[in-house]
Amino acid sequence: MHCELKEKDRIGTINPIFTCQPAGAQYASIGIKECIGIVHGGQGCVMFVRLLISQHLKESFEIASSSVHEDGAVFGALDRVEQAVDVLLMRYPHVKVVPIISTCSTEVIGDDIDGVVRKLNEELLPEKYPGREVHLIPIHTPSFVGSMVTGYDVAVRDFVKYFAEKGEPNGKLNLITGWVNPGDVKALKHLLAEMDIQANVLFEIESFDSPLMPDGNFVSHGSTTIEDLKRTGSASATLALNRYEGGQAAKYLENEFGQPTIVGPTPIGIRNTDTFLANLKKLTGKPIPHSLVVERGIAIDALTDLTHMFLADKRVAIYGNPDLVIGLAEFCLDLEMKPVLLLLGDDNANYGDDPRIQAMQQNVDYPMEIITNADLWDLEDRVKNQGLELDLILGHSKGRFAAMECNVPMVRVGFPTYDRAGLYRYPVVGYEGATWLAEQMANTLFTDMEYKKNKEWVLNVW
Amino acid sequence: MPYHEFECSTCIPERKKHAVVKGPGETLADALPLGYLNTIPGTISERGCAYCGAKHVIGTPMKDVIHISHGPVGCTYDTWQTKRYISDNDNFQLKYTFATDVKEKHIVFGAEKLLKQNIIEAFKAHPTIKRMTIYQTCATALIGDDIDAIAQEVMEELPDVDIFVCNSPGFAGPSQSGGHHKINIAWIKNKVGTVEPEITSDYVINYVGEYNIQGDQEVMQDFFKRMGIQILSTFTGNGSYDDLRAMHKAHLNVLECARSAEYICNELRVKYGIPRLDIDGFGFEPLGNSLRKVGLFFGIEDRAQAIIDEETARWKPELDWYKARLMHKKVCLWPGGSKLWHWANVIHEEMGVDVVSVYTKFGHQGDMEKGIARCEQGALAIDDPNELESVEAMYKLKPDIIFTGKRPGEVAKKIRVPYLNAHAYHNGPWKGYEGWVRFARDIYNGIYSPIHELSKLDISKDEIPTDKGFVTQRMLSDANLPDEVRNDPNLRQYTGKYDMLAALRGKTYPAFEQHTPKEAAA
Repeated sequence: MHCELKEKDRIGTINPIFTCQPAGAQYASIGIKECIGIVHGGQGCVMFVRLLISQHLKESFEIASSSVHEDGAVFGALDRVEQAVDVLLMRYPHVKVVPIISTCSTEVIGDDIDGVVRKLNEELLPEKYPGREVHLIPIHTPSFVGSMVTGYDVAVRDFVKYFAEKGEPNGKLNLITGWVNPGDVKALKHLLAEMDIQANVLFEIESFDSPLMPDGNFVSHGSTTIEDLKRTGSASATLALNRYEGGQAAKYLENEFGQPTIVGPTPIGIRNTDTFLANLKKLTGKPIPHSLVVERGIAIDALTDLTHMFLADKRVAIYGNPDLVIGLAEFCLDLEMKPVLLLLGDDNANYGDDPRIQAMQQNVDYPMEIITNADLWDLEDRVKNQGLELDLILGHSKGRFAAMECNVPMVRVGFPTYDRAGLYRYPVVGYEGATWLAEQMANTLFTDMEYKKNKEWVLNVW
Repeated sequence: MPYHEFECSTCIPERKKHAVVKGPGETLADALPLGYLNTIPGTISERGCAYCGAKHVIGTPMKDVIHISHGPVGCTYDTWQTKRYISDNDNFQLKYTFATDVKEKHIVFGAEKLLKQNIIEAFKAHPTIKRMTIYQTCATALIGDDIDAIAQEVMEELPDVDIFVCNSPGFAGPSQSGGHHKINIAWIKNKVGTVEPEITSDYVINYVGEYNIQGDQEVMQDFFKRMGIQILSTFTGNGSYDDLRAMHKAHLNVLECARSAEYICNELRVKYGIPRLDIDGFGFEPLGNSLRKVGLFFGIEDRAQAIIDEETARWKPELDWYKARLMHKKVCLWPGGSKLWHWANVIHEEMGVDVVSVYTKFGHQGDMEKGIARCEQGALAIDDPNELESVEAMYKLKPDIIFTGKRPGEVAKKIRVPYLNAHAYHNGPWKGYEGWVRFARDIYNGIYSPIHELSKLDISKDEIPTDKGFVTQRMLSDANLPDEVRNDPNLRQYTGKYDMLAALRGKTYPAFEQHTPKEAAA
């Protein structure tokens, strides 16, 4: 077999690809309107995650901490949650949704966040806030389980599970985007509009590409409302784009409400976007319009300029969120490139069951490694010490030093991409995303050819 | 000095004594905000944790060390690549970070075996690095792993390595400040005195509480070297692990950030009788006084004065160019801890700006005392500010610029207040004479941004000026300047390079004759 799926052969992590579960839950929470999460743990679990997300989006937003100090760690810290909820509700009168997100410390000490939510629902809310709509939602995201990816998946599932109601069929499609950028949401909404499909886009973060207005509006927030979440139960169907980020919520809706449900594939590249549109057509009965034929044609035209001349046989390493990595690898294969190393940053035991990975194992005809529980040293060590040759790296900003150490050009993609300007604004999904990705890869290779004087004269005529 | 009650915080009376306004003629005896108390949960405070105070602020700037956090990957990932503490060994400590990757099974059965395998693996991956610091995290503190015992075991098995253990879990204290304290004490207790240094000068210092943000340490090191002073160690920016084990042999501890590193200075005084001298690398006058004080201590004031004269002549005309254009611009000085008093007053004196507010995220009352004493009358001082209070303060004070962290800077941006990164700087270094001019230049570029000016225009309501295709910073800053200032031939804009460190790193220094025989000195 040419394509090998295996776990990293070291036990520790040198330069991690992912952060931990609570970060994923926090990213999901900022997609909800009138929502401020409370992370139950030490203050760093919030401060640094807010910094991380704000570095990526170049925006601020609100997430609170229960500020567990030493006494709480010793004697239990549920009183900190009670106080946090009260203080938050008093000072943010518009807030209606408050996820209580656990961390490693509060899971280890065994704080019962479900119990404290019951208590608050029975005491504080009716006594102090009668008539106010408040939803307290416990979300268990111990940092020593899974990764930021599973944290996002768990939070999306728990939000949907909490709110989804059976109701009159509203004819809308649930579209669970997964961990994407504002630019992706915009591109997805565009495709839906072209298909004339009414959709409930969860969790809606397009608004994080927000304006600086003359009157000064200071906080960005997501646009998914409580109503949107409730209506997920009465949707006509559910389409989750990502298997690992929102897949559990889709399964829940399928089982609980009997909705036709499709999970994946991530619409990265032409082929997966075609499948996405086919799935939309299947779930809604709407035809694919001529306008998208044209849009697809523009993308294919652009890709044809690049593939066999510049991209063919280029050896690529890809790391990041699993659906993104797999989608990018599939697209690279369509572009005649050779993804030789895929790094998935957590130990999810189900990767081997992923049909996309199985297809690569069956069909890739050159040596390719897919490493799970991987870190960025898996990349750097292979290039520096084991002779792996690469032409290009695709991944997020935390790998910037690895790319520089390897002296391999890199296209920033995924989360976070704080060391390049404005990337959150551009889609990687849809036909538009396919064009953008291919052109980014080509232009990055071109710049590298010029700096390294590596056949840079090729570009004299093109 | 009445306490200031924020409208957004009337419902939490505990906050009442955390902010004051400095009134006319009042002294600090009238009121001082409470400080360094437990955070009120749910306020959306900006504080971090004791793990980050130890690992991220103080531990990791040490340059020739494998920094490994014993816990799940999040603590490591989140604190990695969020600061600008560089080093002259190609930034090893910035490029590589290590986590033992504690999973659920380790929480249940213990993670000591995992830790040991990790240590060995990390040294194997980086065979040229023989020093390591292990940071405890919340999870491994709670399961009770004996990190010290494992470190000892490995040191016995691998005699060429040395390992330092820092037990400072995230919950240990109200903020990152708890971690500063813990790592200070752990270092002197376990590592100082375990290496004997080579003494090459009659004048030997430890440079303490300096983290080499954008090269600050290298700028200050240049002055000390020009004075013929041997810097035995820097705690910790650009500092070497083994150099820091030899701190006990210095004649003087020169302390920069008293918030984060006074503890080790105090202990070095108690244990080894080394005096502590607080200095300040920010601002011409404070820096000049600092160099003079160090010179005075060693009896080499002339060497200090020569540097002060040379640097002042070179850079003062550039500082004054900016001062003329920054007069009475309103500044919110909202850093983490010590910069509120390092910068208050001197930015008023030397750059002309008015400090209308100071705040501290993790400072103690002593920091506030110094900060309030140095800021302008009427200034608002806030301890452990939270999101709503900061916003309320910005609307009320209408500052021209704010010095704070990256994410709060995004909040300021939306209110149309330009921000400079107080923790990591914009285009630093900001210490030293040239650095101070760079700071003034960054403030100037922040305030007089043509795009910032455009952000205030509402094209749907306001009259749109159509007479210009562009505006320069000069057109904005000089519009109301008197001609004699605008055209003052003695003043000039910053003339330094984008990277001012390259020249420093290749520099050679005059040899001063050493009077103390080498044996005696050692």
